[in-house]
Amino acid sequence: MSELTQSSAPRRSVGGQLLGSSQLVLGIILAVLCIAISLAAPQFYSEANIIAILRQCALVLIVASGMTMLIITAEVDLSVGASLAFVGCIGMAVLNSTHSLALGMLAAFAFAGGVGLFNGLVVTRLKVNSLIATIGTMMMLQGGVYLFTREAVQNHHRLISFTDLGAGYIGAIPLPVVIAVVIFAIAAVTLRFTTLGRYLYAVGANERAVRLSGVRSERLKLFAFVVTGLCVGVAGMILSSLMNAGQPTAGRGFELTVIAAVILGGTSLLGGRGSLFGTLLGVLVLKVIDNGIIILGWNQDLQMVVPGVVIILATYLDIIRNRANVR
Amino acid sequence: MSVDFLYPGEGAAVDTGVPAIEMRGIDKRFPGVVALDNVDLTLEPGKIHALMGENGAGKSTLIKIMAGVYGKDAGTIRMRGRELDIRSPRDSLKEGIKVVFQEIALISEFTVAENIFLEGYPTGKGGSIDWKKIRADSAALFNRIGFNVDPAARTGSLPVSQQQMVEIARALAHEARVVVMDEPTSSLTPNEISLPFTVIRRLAALGIAVLYVSHKLDEVFEIADTVTVLRDGRHVSTRPIGEHTNDTLIQDMIGRRIESLFPRKRGAPGSKVALSVQGLSTAKKLKDVSFEANAGEVLGFFGLMGAGRTELAKAVVGFDPIISGTISVDGRHLMPHDTHTGVRLGIGLLTEDRKSEGLMGELPVYQNASLASLGAFARMGFIDKARERKAVQDYVDRFRIKTPSLFQQIKNLSGGNQQKVLISRWLMRGLKVIVVDEPTRGIDVGAKSEIFALIDRLAGEGLAVVMMTSEMPELLGLADRVAVMCEGRLTAIMSRDEATQEKILNAAIG
Repeated sequence: MSELTQSSAPRRSVGGQLLGSSQLVLGIILAVLCIAISLAAPQFYSEANIIAILRQCALVLIVASGMTMLIITAEVDLSVGASLAFVGCIGMAVLNSTHSLALGMLAAFAFAGGVGLFNGLVVTRLKVNSLIATIGTMMMLQGGVYLFTREAVQNHHRLISFTDLGAGYIGAIPLPVVIAVVIFAIAAVTLRFTTLGRYLYAVGANERAVRLSGVRSERLKLFAFVVTGLCVGVAGMILSSLMNAGQPTAGRGFELTVIAAVILGGTSLLGGRGSLFGTLLGVLVLKVIDNGIIILGWNQDLQMVVPGVVIILATYLDIIRNRANVR
Repeated sequence: MSVDFLYPGEGAAVDTGVPAIEMRGIDKRFPGVVALDNVDLTLEPGKIHALMGENGAGKSTLIKIMAGVYGKDAGTIRMRGRELDIRSPRDSLKEGIKVVFQEIALISEFTVAENIFLEGYPTGKGGSIDWKKIRADSAALFNRIGFNVDPAARTGSLPVSQQQMVEIARALAHEARVVVMDEPTSSLTPNEISLPFTVIRRLAALGIAVLYVSHKLDEVFEIADTVTVLRDGRHVSTRPIGEHTNDTLIQDMIGRRIESLFPRKRGAPGSKVALSVQGLSTAKKLKDVSFEANAGEVLGFFGLMGAGRTELAKAVVGFDPIISGTISVDGRHLMPHDTHTGVRLGIGLLTEDRKSEGLMGELPVYQNASLASLGAFARMGFIDKARERKAVQDYVDRFRIKTPSLFQQIKNLSGGNQQKVLISRWLMRGLKVIVVDEPTRGIDVGAKSEIFALIDRLAGEGLAVVMMTSEMPELLGLADRVAVMCEGRLTAIMSRDEATQEKILNAAIG
């Protein structure tokens, strides 16, 4: 590629960076999906349905915000689904025994953050590949939750504020959506405007270069793991509020949805590349597909099949677009 | 595929005077750039032809067209009068053209023999692979290039120089008529270079046309019969090597004269000790290394391959762990021994391995430049991007870094410009001691003198520069004092005036 050096290679403006990559493809996919579904089923555009879609998106978006940061550092966490279920059970159990939302939330955060910290330490200190490490954690949590409780932890405390967590509204917007938007915004601003965000990209792009520059790269990765864990804490409490119980079986496959959304959004598993805006689009695409399948009355098993096809297709389109840029 | 094929040098008839390959009027455009403009190249059988030019001159585009990696936009390629239609690397190989790229294209987990016969394993009864024959044939091939590698060795366990030989043996298995070597010595050390040279001469003796792509003058003078120079995608000259001098070749390559490769503008070094290393040992290599470097001084470290220069560089800046010894920068101990503390005290490394330890290839130039000094552009953790870019722009202007914009991904810059960005990274941070490891590796002549000038300037601004190098001219041209290493030990330190090539080599051998 050295021949290209002296050329006036395409300049990338800030706006171009935002929309340049796979996000354009994704935006088009989203628009086509929305138009197609609403032509086939006009109720897709009802206010109630849009709110429903947003509520569906909220849980995924919360965890995907942390996961985007983590994948940008070239690590990944597969234990978020298992942790999500466990967090709900623990949160609910603490609520039942203390009748305090604050303590319940605190327990959930401590547990989920602890899981993130554990993952982070295993990866950065023991140098275990994060894919393997977090599969290990996932298995420990999936089994561990049954050691903790054989069945769902029911709501015995009847705290209104807890029910509001999942079912409440601020104005016309569901509370989980508001929480998701806030977390998303904080993560997006961090990635885009702060030194911390810049370092996260840098670590993913070349960890050794970052370390040689005097930056403690392990701490950055550890941070991303813990943030992902804390996001799971928030999502777990919302989920248990929505279900009005801590379900040990909840969250199966949740990690796949989250990672799929992040990757669909153009974040590279190799690290150093990606954006939260892309993740947002990824979440929307996946959840609009889910919703469309239900509204159109298709077989629900397609809810897994179609996103699988979409991921492969979107990634392939991205490759084609990159190739067109190079040649 | 057969190994029974005979080359002219082994008794087969020689087509005298008929070019092995003839490229005429080759054009190649990439979006926004003309990479090759009407380039001619003719290779004779049994001759070693050097292809020279700076990065961006079009050397690699030309050989990639030969190799079928790129298609050409115009022009013809003929082999013994017949026009070739090369559309893929497979076509090229079928026509007997073998390009050995810098990035070795072997499967490192396979054995040498498995790699050589990758395209088609000889089979025995019932279609099972005839391993005995593969080993024997591989050994026979190595014999013909006058070099021996164990065919059963795992390829990845061999040094790069030997892996290159495996690729050449593979070329012979394909009855190659044309062998292209793309900067074969760029990842080798001085005492390894003789190996490819011997083999290249042997290839020529077999009647194979060899194209030797390089920007190292001394190598070309040593090995080539003819030299073709490209500049900015155009053919500049093709002459027998005898008609060239160092100066005429450089002039052809860069289109201007370089006054001096080693411009020295700085004054005498200071007397204040900036870096003090005492009794440094590492688990793997270094044994009891002690030295001091003064502010404003260039201290050059020489050593043969495996002497421990890179290990020393990485240990001194806190990147690799040490088992004993002390390092102090400006009188302050590097404790705890890590790069975070190192950079805070003012010592940093300009790595020899830009790709895996220096560059963030996918990220833009300005983010690469500001990596070590980001804190200086931040308020409450938020980056003031306008200030950051302005600071980087200053360095881009001052060092004449050629980049289309600050937003260009750094992987698209030439080696010399990448190196300038990495030097800027440290200057923006402000260091007291900079350790530079093979500062001109993979950088071409024109840019080399600029890097030398920058190193001179660093010392002139009062930094202590510790320079690891395997290039004798670089060492003698830049250093105030010369330190020599051998097998992890420091064997000599001498002033510039005492240092002669002979003394240095003696100390390097131990």
